[in-house]
This record gives sequence, C-alpha cells and structure tokens, in this order.
Amino acid sequence: MNKELRRILIVLTGICTLFVSLIVYISYFQIFKAEAVKNNSYNKRLWIDEEKILRGSIIDRNGKILAYSEKVDDAYKRFYNYGNLYSHVIGYSYREYGKSGLELKYNNTLLNIDETTPFHELKNIVKPNTEGNTLKLTIDHHLQEYSRGLLQGKRGSIVSMNPRTGEIYSMVSLPDFNLSNLREDWNDIMEDEGKPFLNRATSGLYTPGSTFKVLTAIGILEDLDPNSRYECTGSITIDGYPIKDYKGRAHGSVDLREALVKSCNTYFAGKGIELGKGKLGEIANNFMINKKIPFDLPTAKSTFPYKENLGKTDIAAASIGQGKVLVTPLNMALIASGIANKGEILQPILVKEAISPDGEIVRINEAKKISDGIDIFTANEIKNMMVEVVERGTGTNGKIQNIRVAGKTGTAENPSGKSHAWFIGFAPADDPKIAVAVILEEDGSTGGRTAAPIARNIMIEALNTIE
Amino acid sequence: MFKKRINYKVPRNLLVLFELLALFLIFAHDKDNFNRNTLILGMALISIIYISSFILLRISTGDNYIFLIVTMLISIGIIMIYRIDPELGMKQIIWTGIGILLFFISYFIIKSIKGWKNWTLLYGGASIALFLITFIFGSRIKGSLNWIIIGKFSFQPTEIIKILLIFLLASYYANYEKYKKVKYGSYCLIGTLYLFIAFLFVQKDLGTVILFYFVFSAIQFIYEENRRLILYNTLFFLISGLIGYFMFSHVRVRFETWLNPWIYIDNKGYQITQSLFAIAAGGFFGTGIGLGYPDFIPEVHTDFIFSAICEEMGIFTGIGLIMLFLILVYRGFKIALSQDEKFFKIVALGISILFGIQSFIIFGGVLKMIPLTGITIPFVSYGGSSMLASFIALGILQVASEDLNLEEIEHE
Repeated sequence: MNKELRRILIVLTGICTLFVSLIVYISYFQIFKAEAVKNNSYNKRLWIDEEKILRGSIIDRNGKILAYSEKVDDAYKRFYNYGNLYSHVIGYSYREYGKSGLELKYNNTLLNIDETTPFHELKNIVKPNTEGNTLKLTIDHHLQEYSRGLLQGKRGSIVSMNPRTGEIYSMVSLPDFNLSNLREDWNDIMEDEGKPFLNRATSGLYTPGSTFKVLTAIGILEDLDPNSRYECTGSITIDGYPIKDYKGRAHGSVDLREALVKSCNTYFAGKGIELGKGKLGEIANNFMINKKIPFDLPTAKSTFPYKENLGKTDIAAASIGQGKVLVTPLNMALIASGIANKGEILQPILVKEAISPDGEIVRINEAKKISDGIDIFTANEIKNMMVEVVERGTGTNGKIQNIRVAGKTGTAENPSGKSHAWFIGFAPADDPKIAVAVILEEDGSTGGRTAAPIARNIMIEALNTIE
Repeated sequence: MFKKRINYKVPRNLLVLFELLALFLIFAHDKDNFNRNTLILGMALISIIYISSFILLRISTGDNYIFLIVTMLISIGIIMIYRIDPELGMKQIIWTGIGILLFFISYFIIKSIKGWKNWTLLYGGASIALFLITFIFGSRIKGSLNWIIIGKFSFQPTEIIKILLIFLLASYYANYEKYKKVKYGSYCLIGTLYLFIAFLFVQKDLGTVILFYFVFSAIQFIYEENRRLILYNTLFFLISGLIGYFMFSHVRVRFETWLNPWIYIDNKGYQITQSLFAIAAGGFFGTGIGLGYPDFIPEVHTDFIFSAICEEMGIFTGIGLIMLFLILVYRGFKIALSQDEKFFKIVALGISILFGIQSFIIFGGVLKMIPLTGITIPFVSYGGSSMLASFIALGILQVASEDLNLEEIEHE
C-alpha cells in the first residue's frame, strides 16, 4: 500500500470514528441522561405537557379525596380540599412557585409519565395519555384532622404511625399555610418568622431532652448492670459543671427502672459517661440518628456527633438528650415504633399505592426493615419500663383506661429559654397498633404536662377509628 | 423502461415517497393554514429534485449517489424549517432551487475550463481580498462580523473562501514538486492559512476557525512530505488556542458552557440547555412533526436545526442524518481514491473532509459532546450562502467523480 493511500484511509477512519462517536454519544445521552435533563425544572416543556394531562387525585387510606384536578376554562386547575391540613404532606403544584411535598416527589406518577421505554413512547404517539394516576396515601384523614386540632394555636409537630408496617397515619407541622391561597399568601408566608414552609415533622431539628434517655437506657441494659443502685441527690458535678434534676429534686436510691420512670438526669448522666460515647453513638445509629431516613418526603438527618472530640460534660449532656443531640420528630416516632415492633425499625411510608385511570393498582411502598435496631429481649425490657413511666412516672397524663401505654416524656432545654415539650409512645403496649411522637416547640411546659395528653388523645382516637 | 421508473427499488423513487409522506405530514399538522402556494412549491421542489437526479444520470458519468444523499438531507432540513417557520421554509425551497441550478452551472464550468491546478496564487489572493472586503463592508449579524449586505441580500464570504481554501490546498499539493523547490514553500502555505484563521478569529467565527484548521491539517497530513511541519502546525494551534482561551472571553464562554451549562442556564448556557431539553424530549421516536416545542431554542432554524429534528423526529432520525453524512463522506473519499488527476483528487478529499468536519462540529456542539461553535449543517440548516456554497462544492465533487484523464486522452 503506498503512503498516500494509507494516509487517506487514516483520515477517513478518523472521520468515521468521529461520526460513530456521535452516534454512541447521542444514544448514551438518550438512555442514561435524558430522563434527568427532561425533568429539570427549567424545561418549559414540563409545564406544557402537564397542562394537557389531568393530574391524578390524592386520596387518603380510606379513599377520601384530598386533592384533585378539574378543567376550568380549558385548563386544568388543581384543587386542595383541605387548605392547611396537608400543606407539608401533599404540598403544592403551581406554575409560578414550582412544586413541593408529594406533588413534587410523585409528579411523574401523578401525570402518568414515568415510563420511558421505547414501547411506551410509541404508545404515547398513538394514544397520548390524558389522565394521571391517583395516589393513595397511608394518612388517615380523620386522624390527621384530629391531630392538627390538638396542635392548633401552637408550634410543633405530631407524627403518628403504625409500628408494624411503618405506615404514617398523621403528620402535622405547625405553623402551616393554606395550599389553596398560595398566590395571595406567598409573600406573607415567606416573611413569617414561624417558617410555615418548614416541615417540622421531617426537617425540624430539636433537642430531644429526656426522650433520648430511652436510648441511654438501652445502652445500660446491654452493657451495664441495670439493677445497680445509685443515690440521687438532685445534682451531680461533672468536670466542674453541675447537672441538675428537674427543679433540683432528689430521687433517692434508684436503679435503671426507677431512674427512667422518674426521668432522673443525674443517674443517666453518670451512666452515660460509663457507657462512653462510642456505645451511645452505636445505639443512636441503630435508631437512624446520623442516618438519612428513606422517606417519601425530604428528611433532615438527626445528629449525634459522637465521633467528635466530646468531653465528659458533653457525653453526660447527650445521655439525657441535651447538648449536641438534635432529632426530627419523625425520627423520634421511629424510635417509639422500633421498640414497639420488637426492636426492628421499618421504613416510614406515606404513599401506599398508585391507581391508574383504568383502575390498575401499583404498590409504591412495601413494609421494609431499614435498621436492626435492638434485639427483642432488650426491646421487651425497655417497653416494660416505658409502660411504668406512663403508669406511675412522669407520663401519667398519657394513661388510657384499660389499655397499657408505653411512653417517655421529655422537657428539652434549648437556647430560646423556653423548653420543648416531648412525648413519644405507643399503645397497646402488648400488641402495638399506634406509635406517636409529639413535640410542642418552645412550649415552656413539661412534656408530661402538655405533650402527653395530646399523644394520649391521638392514641385513643386511632385505636377507636382506624381499622 | 417505464416499469423501472416506478420501481420502488430505485433510490430516486424512494426519496420521492419520503418527500410526499413528509409533505403530507406537514399539511396534516398545519391544516388550518392550508396554502395553495406552499403545495405548489412543495410539489415543484419534489419534481426539481426528481428531474435533476434523472438528468444528472444522463449527463454525468460519475457518482450518482452523492446528489441523492444531499437531496435527502435537504428534504429533512426543509421539512423541519417549514414546520418551525413556513415563511423560512418557502425561502429555503427557493434557495434549494437556485442551489441545484448552481450545482449544474459549477459542474459545467469546472469541467469545461482546464488549468484549475495552476492558479494557486489566484486562490490565495482572492481569499484575502474577500476577507478584506468583509472587514471594510461587512456587517455584524448575531455577533459575527462575517456578512456582506448588498441591497436586500446578505451573504457570508467565508462560504466562498472555504472552496477557495480547498482549491488553494489542492493546487499547492498538486504542484508540490514545483513548490517544494521554492524556499519555505510549505511555510508560506501555513502562513496563509494562519492569516485566514486570524481573520476568522477577529470576526469571532470560531466554528469556521476549527473547520479551516482541520481541513488544512488533514490535507497536510496526507500530502506534506516535511513531516516536522505537521508537528509544528499542531503545536502552534494548541498554543494559540491556549492563548486565545486566556485572552478572549468569548472563547472561554464556549468552554465554560460546555463543561457545565446548567449553572449558566439563565444566560450564556441558555441555548445549549434548551437544545438538550429538546433532544431529551424527543426520545427515540420523537414527538412527531408539529408536536414538540423546538422553537424554545433560539436560532433553531440554523445552528440548532439538529436539536429540532431530534425532538420531533427522534434520535433515530438524528442518527439517520449522521449516517447520511457518513455515507456522503465515504462516497467523497471513494471518489478521491479512484481519481487519478491529482488536483481533483485533493479537491474531492478537501470537500469530503469539509462536509464531514463541518457537520461533526455542529452535531457534537448541540449535543454538548464538544464545545459549541456556531456553524451551519451543510444542506440542512436554513441559510442561502451556506446552501449555495455547499451546492457549488457538490458540483465540483461531481466533476471529480468522473474519469477526467480518460476524457483528456479522448479529446487529444
């Protein structure tokens, strides 16, 4: 082969390679990248396509319609039946403001545009889909309404769920906003100091206070002698810093059971140091603290930075849920659920299934274990102690007639100066059907006095009305 | 004879079928604005293409596929342009008609005049003259100072210079034995090329800079015997590219919007991201003609026509378009390989490389595979200058596909 011919063929091969690489690249783009590009919120096509499709309804677990779309003057309009009730769960879908909540997360399902196989594309050309899927939630509308009613006028959050399946029954965060009046209220909501857009249930980070003692107690059950007694004088000094009991009251001689029932700070602070930050961190991790909770809505990560260089005072504070520990209400509900569910933590779920326009049902979420939590024996022991907390301890306001309730109160000191009131618990203790976490933000009162009765009412209502 | 004419196996007839179906689709989509003139023009175009390919078969002994490939490209282009803007579509049809006429004219002129290979200096001089005219009389359209406006018409001299460049290279290397003896002959050639590139750079026509460089480098790679020059050429280009990157913001912008256009989505990354949205929206089969939103992309009828085609006809048509260019380039190389006359051999190579690189630069650009530089797709994008120049080039390629030496012997 002469030089010229060889070089010409090299150039030809080069150009052919360029063209083939184009074909490979465009195919790669279409198969792997296009989906993400298409769903970019700057893509104007999204809205145009959406306006041609009847967006699916959102219904509660019993089929009650919470949100739906309807044609008004040639354009589909979104209607929210319960303005404030679902501001953080369902969220909104407005052209001007974008989307939030489940409207955002399940946008494609609601529009029935999630499948992009070539076959589906062909079908779409022949018979474009005009109707989206309906979303069926795990929320119980009645309990949601009831929960919000109990929180009305306060700041805070309630999460109630089925500990055996992970299904969320109600999820409330206050202050909230009216989904139907977003256009009128937008500026006010943005400026509101109460941050109505924040979903406190999943993204609000709070000091857990004494509710965290449940985790410390688990550590003591696993590693130390729960029966060894400690003389509580109402205060303990660690590295020069005093840690006091509530109002400085001495609890006398206590073992683990008594300490939890009376919520004795000095006992847990001392035992926490004995356990060490590693053990506390390990238990926290098992209960999804420091981990991203997989959920249908965006979640903030609860934190306990045990790997940092913590001093004795820090560890003591963490043992009683003060200091550097921050948790979300959803996480606390998961802790209660985990103990109720024999130590296993299930993924919390909000969306049960999608129902196609033809009535075909597609399950969206299945009950799924996300953490091993603790073993069944420890779970049982801690449960019995929590039952006593409600029967004769700080949580007596959570008591229900004829039903054993397990719970733990918390009164969390925080920089605002007014403490958060917490209650986590579940019922019936021996056959748990409902788990709940209640927080009243900067309430100034104790968890036992204000949060426990709310939790109690929710548990009664849930046991009476659900299934 | 008649039977053969309606035989579906004849590519010419397949093309007519394709065009008729596409025309029908366009009317089906735009049935509210049904326009008799459009129909007449559309049918006229189909007949012109059909008759031209028929005539060509009779008068040219050369390759009879390149014209067919090109008319297929044109058909896809016109359908898309018409769908985006019927008025531009009509104009494009007229341009195509003139283009085909120019194709035949340039075919006859190139063929009847002998001595093309002897006018090296003329090609160089004419190119420089055209550049200077552009600077003196030129107008800036869309950021590039490369248009000359005469009365109602505007044209881009660079489109002509492309062909002159190929002629310059071909005549230089066809007479290589002679020029080799001139001191620094090849350096003069490189110098001329870099002068062109400098002109283009000042005009901010980066796409054409890349195009000229690659056409030149490919021909140089094949024919330059002083191999060290190729190395110098590459190094010089890389260094000046780097200098350009740091000195000129419009070069930097191309790179920034290539690496991550999404953070500039509101401003300088707008075009490319809109293009990606369009391609992503089309999927494999496209939304269907008239059912997508290619007009969200600025300049969609020229530089971004490929994105529009991908959106409404799917990437399968997009890949089809790429393959049509691949075949065109392949035919061009085949022509070059079987041509014995050196000048036309190099011309055929040059034109094939030109078509290939030009389409690659813009395909890759709108796909964000390489930095985007504004340039037209030959025969597909809207634009008179580009269409006419491409047809002239095609006419020359048609001449090159014939057995020229044999003819000379016959005449003698």
